[in-house]
Amino acid sequence: MTVDQRYCREREGNILSRTLGDIGLLYHRPSGQTHIVISPVPEILEAMEDDSPVSVGDLLQRLSRRFDLGPQETALPKIAAHLADMAALGLIRAVA
Amino acid sequence: MSALPLVRALRRPESAAAFSPEQWNVLIAMARAERLIGTLALRIGDGAVPGGVRAVLADARLDAEREARQALWEADRAATALAPLGLRVVLLKGTAYAAAGLKAGAGRFIGDLDILVPRDSMDAVEKHLIAAGWEWVKSDPYDDAYYRQWMHELPPLIHRDRDRMIDVHHTVLPLTARQTPDAEAMIADAVPVSDGLYILSSEDRVCHAVAHMLADGDLAGGLRNLWDIYCLLGEADPAALETRAERHGLLPHVRQARRLADALYGEGRTRLTLWDRIVIARLLARDGWGRETRKGLRFAFYLRSHWLRMPPLMLARHLLTKWRKGYRPA
Amino acid sequence: MKHRVTLRIGPATFRIGSAWSGPIGELRRLYADYPAPSDGPADFTVRLEPAGLLRRWLRPSIFITGDHGLADAAPMSLAHSLLAAEMGMNLQMALGWRRHLLLHASSVEKDGRVLLMSGESGSGKSTLAAQLGERGWRLMGDEFALIDLAAGAVLPFPRLVSLKNRAIDVIAADVPAARMGPLLEGTAKGDIRHMRPRADAVARMDEGAPPALLLFPRFGHASAIRPMGQGETFMRLTQASTNYVALGEAAFAALGRFVDEVPAMAMDFPSGDEAIAMVERLWEERA
Repeated sequence: MTVDQRYCREREGNILSRTLGDIGLLYHRPSGQTHIVISPVPEILEAMEDDSPVSVGDLLQRLSRRFDLGPQETALPKIAAHLADMAALGLIRAVA
Repeated sequence: MSALPLVRALRRPESAAAFSPEQWNVLIAMARAERLIGTLALRIGDGAVPGGVRAVLADARLDAEREARQALWEADRAATALAPLGLRVVLLKGTAYAAAGLKAGAGRFIGDLDILVPRDSMDAVEKHLIAAGWEWVKSDPYDDAYYRQWMHELPPLIHRDRDRMIDVHHTVLPLTARQTPDAEAMIADAVPVSDGLYILSSEDRVCHAVAHMLADGDLAGGLRNLWDIYCLLGEADPAALETRAERHGLLPHVRQARRLADALYGEGRTRLTLWDRIVIARLLARDGWGRETRKGLRFAFYLRSHWLRMPPLMLARHLLTKWRKGYRPA
Repeated sequence: MKHRVTLRIGPATFRIGSAWSGPIGELRRLYADYPAPSDGPADFTVRLEPAGLLRRWLRPSIFITGDHGLADAAPMSLAHSLLAAEMGMNLQMALGWRRHLLLHASSVEKDGRVLLMSGESGSGKSTLAAQLGERGWRLMGDEFALIDLAAGAVLPFPRLVSLKNRAIDVIAADVPAARMGPLLEGTAKGDIRHMRPRADAVARMDEGAPPALLLFPRFGHASAIRPMGQGETFMRLTQASTNYVALGEAAFAALGRFVDEVPAMAMDFPSGDEAIAMVERLWEERA
């Protein structure tokens, strides 16, 4: 996985979400798994809302406009790791 | 009491409409024990059945839907993990039927994910699966060595987060078996179903299911396997199937499976041999409480299944090792 | 099988077959006053089988199985056959029930609203429910609570209450012998004695009610009450449910709604009497 790896959101309707108090719940229909998510997962999903594939670098830029993520060289690998984990769960999809 | 009521209800679902509550009890217990309840539920549908039965069948359909969904998700995860290898990953058994929407998949219990990959890619496949979160099921060194040396698969892997098993095969039957189906040819003729995933051709699907039921297994779960074969036969070209079965060294087995499928689920017009009748007696060995019956016959088939797969000396050594560890056939 | 009985508990009907007459006789006596099953087929088959070929006669041991079973379940002594039958029914519910969200929780009802108590075995939830059931509350179940997937109501599952160890003496003293099963000594969970719930709890076993309060009791600690966040509650209840995963989306919706609507608290208590006082106090504050 590199900075150039691009991701897109899981298909519309494949994820149900619900907020309970201070946590977010995601139900992933294809796997039947419930994920309890905390920041920054909801923020990442929100920043990917427009459905077109986005690279790790692009996403960092989008998030930086709203949140203080610290220096790019530490933030980038963290975001990349989050995206890889989310893709493994099926919450987002890696695109070639 | 034998499992005939179950076989009849699968063959002619409308025949169950007039069942008494106790006949339903028997049918449901048998279908659950043979893991055919989902199939039965879909065969019967919402037809004229009592309310209590409808609820049981609706539960079974719900379970079958979940089975299929989870199986397809596991297949998707495996395909993603193996995508960099650029291989043909061939889905086998229940997952294949579900992925292709085949009749055999309707309501079928699925369980583990079985895939077939070229033998020379086994090491790379193993590495990529482990990188994607699959782990070895804890096993002892004897089992592990046995799998790798003699069986037709990697020792089973289980995914650390999803708790689901994958069986990676590179041949159709163990290397010790008398028959040697041509796995490379099966992979070469496989047909694509989705991104990077394939299923066997319609004739090879029959050959594969037959190999597992008649040339390999002790016939546990045989009624379900025979139902698969019965459904798959409907999609295979009879002449092409004969040729293909011959090539895989499975012709007598495929012919027998055709007779058995016809006798139990079809029109029942074929003449049966004595051996067919013995196999049928074994397949129907289930009572109205879902219990296995005919323990002697079951044990004979258990021994035979090992006899078929292993040279006698090795069999003796294998069973001795297993028995020392307290393993007994169910 | 040679001996058999059909029982209905709340929405579930069980066909129980046994190699021995003993457990069936006990079940018939203790479940005698339960509303009769409909004349349809059972939802589940339970089998009490000899654990080995000769085990019907020789040091008899029971293997519990049925539609759903655990291959590695340890055989039980014939002296504990009533417990075996109860475990057989529980096993079917835990592994096979799909018509409600099943929570491992006890439940009692008062004023048309339900108090649920969830926790590990040993938390005191069963004993507490049994005690409340003898003191003006309607016992809905000591082990499983069924949540309606569409409406969110709690449905009763008032099987026999399984009293353990010290709870046996505490509760049996005030209960007529006709409602009590035999004392089963030295089971895997210690001494166990079954108790039939009060007649109204049994007669009203088809009557659900909306949930009002969820407690996570913990016996053996100084009295303390802590409100529980919705995230923690949701997580605990997914773990306390045997069919959350199997029900998929329907369970996600039902459990989310339950946690959203029902306040939850962790309750530590040092003794049964103190726990009852705490529950009554919480219930009044809520009302």
